[in-house]
Amino acid sequence: MEEIKEIVIDNNNPLLKKDGLFFKEFPSDIRQVRFFSMLVVQKAPPEIKEINLLEQQISELIKNAVRHGNKNDISKKVKVWAGFSNDHAHVIVEDEGDGFKKLEEWNEFNKKRNECFANQDFEEMEKYFSFRTEESNENDGGNALFAALEYWDGGVVFTEKKNCIAVYKNFGKKKYGLELN
Amino acid sequence: MEIKLKKYSSVYIIEVIGDMDLYSAFELKDVVTKMLAKGIEKYVLDLENVEYIDSSGIGVLIHVYSTIKKAGYKLKIANVHGSVEKVIRLTKLTHYFPIVSSLKEAVALLER
Repeated sequence: MEEIKEIVIDNNNPLLKKDGLFFKEFPSDIRQVRFFSMLVVQKAPPEIKEINLLEQQISELIKNAVRHGNKNDISKKVKVWAGFSNDHAHVIVEDEGDGFKKLEEWNEFNKKRNECFANQDFEEMEKYFSFRTEESNENDGGNALFAALEYWDGGVVFTEKKNCIAVYKNFGKKKYGLELN
Repeated sequence: MEIKLKKYSSVYIIEVIGDMDLYSAFELKDVVTKMLAKGIEKYVLDLENVEYIDSSGIGVLIHVYSTIKKAGYKLKIANVHGSVEKVIRLTKLTHYFPIVSSLKEAVALLER
């Protein structure tokens, strides 16, 4: 049976600790999101970049912070802490917004989405391809966090204010990260 | 991102070249919308030259496929590879999208 994954909300979660991580700060400029992501990923060893998959996943976190957190307000900053080795990637992204208010709703949505996928119920599944809110625009895929939860196998954690996300991925055999059970 | 159109018999091949990301993915949606308005019924999306896709690109693929399907027309997606294939897998949509391994197979299936 497939493990049920969800986004955790916990200020005290170890993934939110910034010790030993490097720091970068960016303006909320949507045009430069991929460039900012590349600046972060350039410090990762090539073995874990998986061509551009690591960059893509980090880019989604920064894009969410710019677009949904800071509402494209260029005066607001996105702060990124990251650490990489051959075995892991650990990234924290914080914005200056009011937080992802619908996070609990997202977790419920994702649970139902997973049920449809497990049952291969394609017709019902179409309702759960994209999580949209009143703030979503036509360029929002609404699917980034679904992929994030799969990719970041060491956990996806938000602070209680929900404006800061921490993620962890294991690449080696040694497992570290968030235990959900 | 660049889009090239080719016609093979009654099948239109849409070749996407470059990244399908937040800056460019909408271009594909615009092209398909115009083709649908012209009543084109059979589509192949060739992703051989796409090395990068993000959530906006996945959103466009979902939109394009569901719109073509709702119109009663047909789509096949060919040459999905590398990180594009991995991102589709991460979103669990591999079995939803009509993915085939080659252009030849896509055209043959649509010409039936």
